[in-house]
Amino acid sequence: MKTKATKNAQVINQPRGSLRKRIWKQRWLLMMLIPGLIWFIVFKYATYAGLSLSFTNYGFRKTVSFVGLRNFQRLFRSASFWNAFRNTIIISLYNIVFYFPFPILIALLINELRSVHSKRTVQFLIYIPYFFSWVVVGTVFVNLLSPSSGIVNQILKSLGLDTIYFMSDVRWFRKVLILSYIWKQMGYGAVIYVATLSTVDPQMYEASEIDGCGKFRQVLYITLPTIKPTIITMLLLNLSHVLMIFDQVMVMYNASVYSVSDVLQTYSYREGVLTGNLGFGTAVSLFVGVVSLLLVMGTNWISKHFLEDSIL
Amino acid sequence: MSRTVNSNVIKESAARKVFRVFNVLFLTLVCFIVVIPIWNVLITSVAEDKDVMGGVYLIIPKSFTLKSYARVLNSGYMRGFWNSLFIAGVGTVVAMLITVPMGYALAQRKLVARNFFMKMVSLTLVFDAGIMPLYVLIRTLGLIDNSWSLILPFAVSTFNLIIVKNFMMSIPESFVESASLDGCNDLMALVWIVLPMSVPILAAVTLFYFVSFWNRYTEAVMFINNSARYTLQVMLRALIYQSDGSLGEGNIVYENTKMAVMVLGMLPVMIIYPFVQRHFVSGLMLGGVKE
Repeated sequence: MKTKATKNAQVINQPRGSLRKRIWKQRWLLMMLIPGLIWFIVFKYATYAGLSLSFTNYGFRKTVSFVGLRNFQRLFRSASFWNAFRNTIIISLYNIVFYFPFPILIALLINELRSVHSKRTVQFLIYIPYFFSWVVVGTVFVNLLSPSSGIVNQILKSLGLDTIYFMSDVRWFRKVLILSYIWKQMGYGAVIYVATLSTVDPQMYEASEIDGCGKFRQVLYITLPTIKPTIITMLLLNLSHVLMIFDQVMVMYNASVYSVSDVLQTYSYREGVLTGNLGFGTAVSLFVGVVSLLLVMGTNWISKHFLEDSIL
Repeated sequence: MSRTVNSNVIKESAARKVFRVFNVLFLTLVCFIVVIPIWNVLITSVAEDKDVMGGVYLIIPKSFTLKSYARVLNSGYMRGFWNSLFIAGVGTVVAMLITVPMGYALAQRKLVARNFFMKMVSLTLVFDAGIMPLYVLIRTLGLIDNSWSLILPFAVSTFNLIIVKNFMMSIPESFVESASLDGCNDLMALVWIVLPMSVPILAAVTLFYFVSFWNRYTEAVMFINNSARYTLQVMLRALIYQSDGSLGEGNIVYENTKMAVMVLGMLPVMIIYPFVQRHFVSGLMLGGVKE
């Protein structure tokens, strides 16, 4: 036992042995890593390799041949692709403009509550919808907005206004998408921001108050700089999947609003899985993946250069 | 001089009082907007048939009966419930068994080729191949119509892996080092020292995994065509959006019965959430997805 301990101590004193020795010494660690590595190779890197199918006519038939860029030519000439692209961009912009600032605002307001108990209660309650599936959230909104029994239309009726068919009206459907997104996700974001806000030293506020700083300027000069790294992280995470919007649309859309809600992922699903042109569907996937990556890298570059903060 | 200062203080505090009142009112309103639709689902599910007919949005309970739940318990929706529970239960266990050891290994600064492994993992956070290549992979592996197609591809979430890794990095290295001097190997150090210190993050990540497996919809639609293997979410979507008549008398499914299926769809998550919630703030400081 004693010799083993001294041997270990020696190895710790000279951390850089030969590679083989280090691997042997870390055999337990590496064994713990292996299942995860296999998973990443099979379910992530193999799917990256699978993107090469977008240069083939892969489908449900037997033979597969290389078709070069023909899938992309077809893609860029297709009107329904551009419609899906436009819808994705519009819904993503709605997301960034209307959803993204919301949890920050809510967190700032929660932070102003005096009692710890009410802070906790608000966070507990608004976090709940985050755990619901889109099917559940979709149903909640069907109930709320139903033309016959929904509470929103009952209020409209009592105000003498016309009934609105929110779920099947092309003018309203995207607004319903973003409102339900806010309802489901705001608590998640708010709780993360509140956690970051709690790291601000209260003495900073006291000191700034003595210097005659108003509440508004405290938010501007103390609170926002504190949560800036979190805001940037959340923005980048948001951008990395904003174009991938899929579940929500799959659950909530219906034939009467296809024109305003068909997004790139649903388009790819229809062309690939339902029609059977898997190669063509993969071309759409590759397009979305690359555009998302560029979006994240670009934003990261901007934030690195102008805000001196980045996550990558 | 002193009077102006005083009046300033009084004016300031009056303005703040108004702000505080509005703040409380606003946040109360937000809470109501979150809670009322959920409340509506719950009380609709326990209402009598006659109270849910004719287009009402229940906010005040009118009746209490478990009849809808009795109908659901004897319906095909229970099979969906068990299918979903199997996927979520087994999926969460598999996910934790892969994620936790990997997170621990990546948290060790001495790990061979750690930078390479971290890059390999982080890339998947910003680049996603999308749904098509995954569908092709599942077909190639012959997993269509198999419940494992909803478990294996989602057994690791890069995001969860990174928060586990970051949490474990915040545990002082001296704990693990002193254990290794006592003759503990890395596996023993993980089990006996690191895991007991990581309860908050493990609780949060377990819930996140469970929720992600339980709620999955699109992939369930794509990978499972055999109706005996449908998950509850897929059946619920069909029930709400296309009226099908398997639950009601004749072809009518009453709103209360639909809402009872909804409650079934939210049930496991709502049972776990209150127990895990207190770990969230300590477990989820996002401060770093940053490496």
